[in-house]
Amino acid sequence: MRNLKFMLFSGILLIAVSCAEPVDYSEAITDGQYINEAQDRITEVIIHDIFSPPVAARIYTYASLAAYEVAASVDPNYVSLMGQLNGSEKTSFKPSEKVYPPLASLAAYYYVGTAMIFSEEMMNEHRDATFATLKKKGIPSEVFEASVAFGKEVGDAIKAYSSKDNYHQSRSFPKFTVTGEEGTWQPTPPAYMEAIEPHWNKIRTFVLDSASQFKPLPPPPFSTDPNSKFFKVAKEVYDMDIAATKEQKETALFWDCNPYKMNVKGHVMFAEKKITPGGHWMSIAAIVSKADGRDWKGVAEVFALTGISLNEAFISCWDEKYRSKLIRPETYINQHIDEQWVPLLQTPPFPEHTSGHSVASAAAAYTLAQLFGDEFHIVDSSEVAYGLPIREFDSFSQAAEEAALSRFYGGIHYRPAIEYGITGGRDIAAYIWTKVDTKPKNVATN
Amino acid sequence: MKRFSTAFLIGIGLLFSCKEKKIADTLFELMPSEKTGVAFENTLISSDSLNILEYLYFYNGGGVAAGDINNDGLVDLYFAGNQVSNRLYLNKGNFQFEDISESAGVSGEGGWSSGVTMADVNGDGLLDIYVSQVGNYKGLVGKNRLYINQGENKFEDQASVYGVDFFGFGTQAAFLDYDRDGDLDMYLLNHSVKSPEVFARANQRNEPNQLGDKLFKNLLSEGKTGFEDVTESSGIYSSILGFGLGVGVEDVNGDGWPDIYVSNDFTENDYLYLNLQDGTFKESLESLVSSTSRYSMGNDLADLNGDGLPEIFTTDMLPRDPEIWMKSVGEDKAEVYEIKKQFGYADQYVRNHLQLNQGENGFSEIALFSEVYASDWSWSPLIFDMDNDGLADIHITNGIEKRPNDLDFIQYSQQADPKLTRKELLENQINLLPTVKLPNLSFQNQGNLQFSDQAINWGLDQPSYSNGSTYADLDNDGDLDLIINNLNQPAFIYQNHSEKSGNSFLRINLKAKGNNTFGMGAKVGVYFAGKSLFQQYSGTRGFLSGTASTLVFGLGKALALDSISVNWPDGTEEVFLKKSINQTFTLNQGEGKTASKTAIRSKEATFYPEISWTHQETNTLDETKREYLIPKSFASMGPAVAVGDVNGDGLDDIYLGGAKDQSGTLFLQNIDGTFLEKKSEIFAQFARAEDVIAAFADLNGDGHLDLYVGSGGNEHLSGALFKFDRIFFGNGKGDFLFSPMSLPRLGENTSTLAIHDVDGDGDLDIFVGSSVVSGDYGASPKSVLLINQGNGTFQDKTKEWFGTDIDFGMVNSAVWADLNGNRISSLIFTGDWQGIRIFEIINGKKLQEQAMSGLEYSAGWIQSLAVADVNGDGKLDILTGNLGLNSKLKASQEKPVWLYHGDFDENGQADPIIFHYMGDQLVPFASRDELIKQIPAIKRKHSSYQIYAEKARPTDLFEDATLAKITKQAAYEFRSGAYLQQTDGSYVYEPFPDQSQLSPIFSVSWDESKKSVFLGGNFSGFRVDLGTNLASAFGSFHWKENAWTSINFGNTIPSKSEIRNLSTIRVNGNNYRVAASNSGPLYWIKLD
Repeated sequence: MRNLKFMLFSGILLIAVSCAEPVDYSEAITDGQYINEAQDRITEVIIHDIFSPPVAARIYTYASLAAYEVAASVDPNYVSLMGQLNGSEKTSFKPSEKVYPPLASLAAYYYVGTAMIFSEEMMNEHRDATFATLKKKGIPSEVFEASVAFGKEVGDAIKAYSSKDNYHQSRSFPKFTVTGEEGTWQPTPPAYMEAIEPHWNKIRTFVLDSASQFKPLPPPPFSTDPNSKFFKVAKEVYDMDIAATKEQKETALFWDCNPYKMNVKGHVMFAEKKITPGGHWMSIAAIVSKADGRDWKGVAEVFALTGISLNEAFISCWDEKYRSKLIRPETYINQHIDEQWVPLLQTPPFPEHTSGHSVASAAAAYTLAQLFGDEFHIVDSSEVAYGLPIREFDSFSQAAEEAALSRFYGGIHYRPAIEYGITGGRDIAAYIWTKVDTKPKNVATN
Repeated sequence: MKRFSTAFLIGIGLLFSCKEKKIADTLFELMPSEKTGVAFENTLISSDSLNILEYLYFYNGGGVAAGDINNDGLVDLYFAGNQVSNRLYLNKGNFQFEDISESAGVSGEGGWSSGVTMADVNGDGLLDIYVSQVGNYKGLVGKNRLYINQGENKFEDQASVYGVDFFGFGTQAAFLDYDRDGDLDMYLLNHSVKSPEVFARANQRNEPNQLGDKLFKNLLSEGKTGFEDVTESSGIYSSILGFGLGVGVEDVNGDGWPDIYVSNDFTENDYLYLNLQDGTFKESLESLVSSTSRYSMGNDLADLNGDGLPEIFTTDMLPRDPEIWMKSVGEDKAEVYEIKKQFGYADQYVRNHLQLNQGENGFSEIALFSEVYASDWSWSPLIFDMDNDGLADIHITNGIEKRPNDLDFIQYSQQADPKLTRKELLENQINLLPTVKLPNLSFQNQGNLQFSDQAINWGLDQPSYSNGSTYADLDNDGDLDLIINNLNQPAFIYQNHSEKSGNSFLRINLKAKGNNTFGMGAKVGVYFAGKSLFQQYSGTRGFLSGTASTLVFGLGKALALDSISVNWPDGTEEVFLKKSINQTFTLNQGEGKTASKTAIRSKEATFYPEISWTHQETNTLDETKREYLIPKSFASMGPAVAVGDVNGDGLDDIYLGGAKDQSGTLFLQNIDGTFLEKKSEIFAQFARAEDVIAAFADLNGDGHLDLYVGSGGNEHLSGALFKFDRIFFGNGKGDFLFSPMSLPRLGENTSTLAIHDVDGDGDLDIFVGSSVVSGDYGASPKSVLLINQGNGTFQDKTKEWFGTDIDFGMVNSAVWADLNGNRISSLIFTGDWQGIRIFEIINGKKLQEQAMSGLEYSAGWIQSLAVADVNGDGKLDILTGNLGLNSKLKASQEKPVWLYHGDFDENGQADPIIFHYMGDQLVPFASRDELIKQIPAIKRKHSSYQIYAEKARPTDLFEDATLAKITKQAAYEFRSGAYLQQTDGSYVYEPFPDQSQLSPIFSVSWDESKKSVFLGGNFSGFRVDLGTNLASAFGSFHWKENAWTSINFGNTIPSKSEIRNLSTIRVNGNNYRVAASNSGPLYWIKLD
């Protein structure tokens, strides 16, 4: 009995001792490894849940913003974006002593990211595994809890902000009506899906004063006259497809970024899903942040700004798409040039002008160039998991221009949509950089 | 030990009794192949080089043909194999067969065989065999074979000699004497492999392709051997659009000449070729049929109701099991449906179709009414009397080893794997295709064109992947045995034990003159006990298969025959005065009595009035764009019709309210019964309004008829200018003046007007009903009671009369009537999702709802109400026009259809979700995809279609708190009919006869002089998954001896027209009903 008591006592002592011994967990999270992994998981969920490119960009942005706001709340070298972004209110989060900021930032990312998607289980599973790994690094549970709670506090503010961007309401806005008017968009083979997000211009912008602030040049006037400009740009797509080199075809396939390609063989059909254009650029953002050795705060900044740039790019582009409602090359060519023609890439389900990939790529590339300098050797492994090779670029602008042109090689865009798209994307991002700051003014001018 | 042995014995006993029971009790008995000697199994192995992705019809299987190849009186069987050799089995009697394929020389030479047909091609009295094969494709090497019977069980492939060694994608051939020259010509059904997913313009079907369908003329009667390809001159489509999977030949229009039905897979229409009797055909599907199966597979043409005209049955792939249904591909999404329309294709739905032959009125599609619309991935339908009860039943084979229509497979199966090549990825996909083995369907005819599956009771419930099938009396005992070609499973040979049922039968063999020795194409009628049954010997039926020349009739309890008629292929008609039953007769052409050709009654030249006016619905509104789940459109409810003598000359005049952008028009009747438009500027000014209801009444008390016009259309939101109703004052001379101050500004979707002096002050007041809130189906629109101020101006006094809490619901129809004979009128109204509601005037001040016994479960989708004393008992009865029974939505008191209406996701827009019972589960009618579109967050509740398919009740999908906030309304009764008032004031429901339940009834009206009810129906405005319903435009019934009997009135109503209004009108001294159709002209019903 005595022995037992003693054993119990010493046991308690042992536990107390081991608890009391402080483990240095400050290095548990230093760089962007964990947020990168979380972003990869969000990408998987976006693919699984079949979110369209504009919606995907919105998901990345709010999640990244949450992670960034934690960083800004603990480091005076970063300025909160809340208060700068349209419709946002200045916030002042005060983390308690116990909070481990990088964990709070990661928790905020998971928390907001999960609220934006459907397959919550997939996110939670990943979060729990990551948290378990981190716990093993010796983060005390009260620190852990406080950090997660703080992440949630910041996340709640971001969620509240996101809830007013009209996304929720827009789910019930009228579907797009195909009028059958000459030159206007029609559903395309093989799935003949309805045009997605016809009201995306009603989503609140983060920075732009309106969806139409950077209204691109209109497409050439529609015509079926073989001497018309329009016929020529369509014929150019057709000729390009026939003359496409292996390299051009590979380029097109590399940048396909189609989140929902329907494969059809007779009665058999199945969706083949890849990352969205926005997902691809968020992945590039992660790759270059790592290559550049950014810390967790720097990565959050890169993610937030890249996300905002992508988001604004899609809103602007979608505004134009449903203004011009332009017929896709596949439809035009089938009607007026070659009834049997099928483009190399599957035509995505929305009007043609301008090219979303072009606008988004140019905007993201501009922002990344601001953050890293344009000249940057990019080893782009974003698509490896989807069966495509690594591709390397020497600058962000080179990658963006290639991404844009790939739509022309792939037979899903006319050239003007690409040219005007690049211009638009660049202008949008440049404007963002004049309107928001992540660095304090005095620091920035130093 | 003792205990043990007892248990053992009981066990043995059970075993025995089970086995005994099965054999003794079921109508059909599966004969083991060890006994029959039929070892045929269509074994199929998917490989890298040949699989469902390489050849889209990899799993279509093979056919089976029945026929007596050696004229020994026993029907022999020929099975077509894909990767295995074809087999010919000689019937030795007593269900024993001998495989003579090799000695007979009919094994198919290693080719991929699909369909097989037996016919006497060369007129030598011996059945020849035609086999369709796949030509040179991905390692398959073959061509079509014509095995000419050399006698003594030997055959020789002479396809090239006969010019029919087609090389392509053969499906099956059908033989028919289309030109009545006495020999058998051949329709060759082929399929395509061109990417069917990319829609091509429908008019490409006019562009012939060497791989397309063909028509071959037999030159035998011209003294030559072989066939001539007459495709080009015959009116047959021969393009690459055709994915022909089924061909059937019968005399569809009763003119004695063989017509052809072709079922096409994918987007291409089915074809219905009417024989023009001059060597050509006219494809007439769209003028005779309102919709077809989308992925039409096999078909069968045979008479189900004994009127001598064949019905048409086509199979598709709609699952029958609720869980499989909910996770499988359903109807086209609205946008895809529209695209197909734009490309020029006809209406097609993913379900079996049963086209009821209505003679010159074309076909009524009744598969939903008949409950035969879903049988899973189906191939071969066979219409034959399975139990010899005198009613033809329908057997359907089904099953596909790899199910491509599984939505989880389509949406979620593909996993990116960088290690896989493209080819490996595709192969991987094949492995991921789900596999479900189901029993075939055995639909027993209940006698009223409704069917119930008896697969289990009849012993036909073995799970299988079954393709081709045929029936034949293999043991000559007077019932039809069933033979089925299975994939990766031995062929089924079922012995029919109808001989034990006591039902009588008749077997008939035909001997025709000329080269068509077996009389292929002859139609035989059997008459007994006031009934008639008809069969044609066609030789090509079901899917890839063919039936034998002996026709077997089940006669039920008949004791004797009256006679047998034969319409021979050459057009002659004979009657054989055979009386005895349970016999085999051989009828030789020329030995019967020449039938006196029934003189075609020349149609009496009936005079119908004429009014040159057509309702022009130019509305492009698609309500599903803003309300994705709305079940039906409210944009096509017009025209508005009002009849009255507006100029005091004693003649009925008529106001016709147009659709949007179509002016209302007043026609004045002349003394000679012609009508002249009375031009009026004022009507033109309101052309923008969609007029749906109108009435003449003296509203301002000046003794002249005034006009009330109600507008709807569901396009504009409430309160929009052109939705305001309007009153025009008449001057008694045919002139009308708009009275802008008469009505309060309401602007709802007006649906009905009920006019009555409610407050007893000597002027007319009006109840104005409204059907739907624009943009919010399921919500209650504002219906109002308008009280006349005496001078034709009206005030909304709804609250004063009904109280502030009144909820009218969705109102489609309202009338005033003194139901209980107390000289005080009641308002009777109803609409979608509510029963018949009765409000009585209390003390001349108040309208109070009265609960009536017998009306508790009257809620449905009633469009039209009428009140009349139907049975002459002095009590007024209530007549209803409802959705009918020919719909996917089925309601009963025990299993109602529910509308859950509310803002489920709190995004500011209410969502109307319809729940219906599938089995015992109450599940959304909308598909998972559609629900997600309307309520994206619902996706969080089920991560896959499989999980969704397991949802059994609304609470599985929504939180209790959410469900607590929304309104729930039931529909219990979708039949149209009459609520007969009893002496105690309660009501007893008497539905109209089945033939009036085939379409939604939009106009029900009683004619007191004829003691008849008139029903106007058809509606094309349902959402795609409910489909257009154009099965019955008009019906009239008389109440006699406590039952409804059909009564015919001369009329001009075409069967596909959508009748919205049936008004009484007297023209030139005669009484008519004028039937106003949506998007069409006026039609006439002559009463006198």
